[in-house]
Amino acid sequence: MHRALLPFEFSEPASVEEAVALVDGGRARALAGGVDLVLKMRLRQETPERVVSLQKIAGLDHVRVDAHGGGALHIGALATLRQVEQSAAVTQGWPLLAEAIASIVSMQTKVMGTLVGNLCVGTPASDVAPALFALGARVKIAGVGDERDIAVEDFFLGPGVTAVRPHELVTEVVVPARPVGSAGRFLKLSKTADDIAKVNVAVSVAFSRGTCAHARIAIGSAAPTPVRAVAAEELLLREDWCPATAKAAAEAAARSVRPISDVRSTADYRAEMVKVLVRDALTQAADGAGVLDGHDGKEA
Amino acid sequence: MAKEIATFIVNGQGYEVIVEPHMLLIDVLRDSIGLVGTKYGCGAGDCGACTVLLEGKPVFACLTLAVTARDRSLTTIEGLADGAGLHPIQQAFVDAGAVQCGFCTPGMVLTTKALLDENPEPTRGEIKAFLAGNLCRCTGYVKIVEAVESAAGILRNGGAR
Ligand SMILES: Cc1cc2nc3c(=O)[nH]c(=O)nc-3n(C[C@H](O)[C@H](O)[C@H](O)COP(=O)(O)OP(=O)(O)OC[C@H]3O[C@@H](n4cnc5c(N)ncnc54)[C@H](O)[C@@H]3O)c2cc1C
Ligand code: FES
Ligand code: FES
Repeated sequence: MHRALLPFEFSEPASVEEAVALVDGGRARALAGGVDLVLKMRLRQETPERVVSLQKIAGLDHVRVDAHGGGALHIGALATLRQVEQSAAVTQGWPLLAEAIASIVSMQTKVMGTLVGNLCVGTPASDVAPALFALGARVKIAGVGDERDIAVEDFFLGPGVTAVRPHELVTEVVVPARPVGSAGRFLKLSKTADDIAKVNVAVSVAFSRGTCAHARIAIGSAAPTPVRAVAAEELLLREDWCPATAKAAAEAAARSVRPISDVRSTADYRAEMVKVLVRDALTQAADGAGVLDGHDGKEA
Repeated sequence: MAKEIATFIVNGQGYEVIVEPHMLLIDVLRDSIGLVGTKYGCGAGDCGACTVLLEGKPVFACLTLAVTARDRSLTTIEGLADGAGLHPIQQAFVDAGAVQCGFCTPGMVLTTKALLDENPEPTRGEIKAFLAGNLCRCTGYVKIVEAVESAAGILRNGGAR
């Protein structure tokens, strides 16, 4: 850890257009809250020649529900984690996202750090990512003279590598309205409350007559990127809901991860904990969604 | 920008400082302005010793580029006392015995101020959650939480004990 940063040029563009012209993702880096970038500069993991602050760009700090866009939630690139966590729209409409952010315990980190910055770090251990995967979020990316829009699952390409190309910036994360009757749950296992996850899991489910009509399962810290457990989701949509179904889905989910061993956990332990967390998250979310016992639901 | 003379508004007072983009807020506060109440612990966002209030909100001075705090309102621990009279939060920390070596205390007190400004009647759970980013190596957390509870009561009472 170095006390001082190496010198760099500093720009504070006033618009997204000016900013995308400046950033190249390598020698010229975007700065949002700076929590991750400044830390990596102290560690000399990043040594940019230019830092492009996004903080002076107007119109990027929103957390709002778009009544015309089907009630989707729009989170601007400068909206802080704290802002999202405290937003009444989020706690009421997308409590899963608030729950995931609440698992980040450092207040200063949430006051400074943006939700978009958290994603742009590209770490598979992000607590925000699994929640956004489970909620079917999309990421809006502005380039020079164009804009694209990708599923959050396609945003993560590898550890520290995202879909953001040189001369591109994320402008917004859009979370669609929650499926009717759905409930979610986020669970995280970590060494201490303030450490990053050994494994984290987010699920979102809704039921119709005792079977899942909607099921999304996302897992973090257990593969090079956060992942969706698609086989487990398909199993849930097929089988009547009961404890055995939750267990089978958890086992299927554990087959969709590729954990590594590191200082926080062994790969085997992570895979085992994926089973436990997925089972528990599904069971608790199913309670939240008010599922009847599978067979009762069918007879009703 | 390269090198420039910038204004920092610390505890209501303006300071003109020569800054360069790579200077960190903690170094401007401690070395350029000479306010050494803000402590440097980990330099990595892990300990909260460097916490200052930027527009009333707790941030890490060790991870803030000084240029991004130009012309914005900053509060450091030096801004809390009124002359020789301690701020009610500081007095509550003294009275509760919440200070051991004192290294974490400026950050704890400022984070407490941010908490009580937005939530004058926090529960114990809310106090612990808000202070979770401030570590005390002397591990006196029980007394710290008691100090925050007592400070909240005193402030709700208009500062009278
Ligand atoms: C003490 C501590 C504890 C933490 N605990 C957790 C935790 O428990 N769980 C968790 O998930 N995270 C945790 N984090 C990580 C933290 O949430 C992120 O570092 C933070 O949210 C990053 O956001 P930022 O706005 O500060 O990003 P910055 O540091 O400003 O940027 C991060 C990276 O993203 C790029 N970037 C930023 N914005 C954009 C954009 N709009 N378009 C393109 N690229 C962009 C930057 O160039 C940089 O490479 C922790 C961090 C600390 C310091
Ligand atoms: S010195 Fe800033 S968080 Fe430890
Ligand atoms: S009193 Fe010593 S670190 Fe907290």
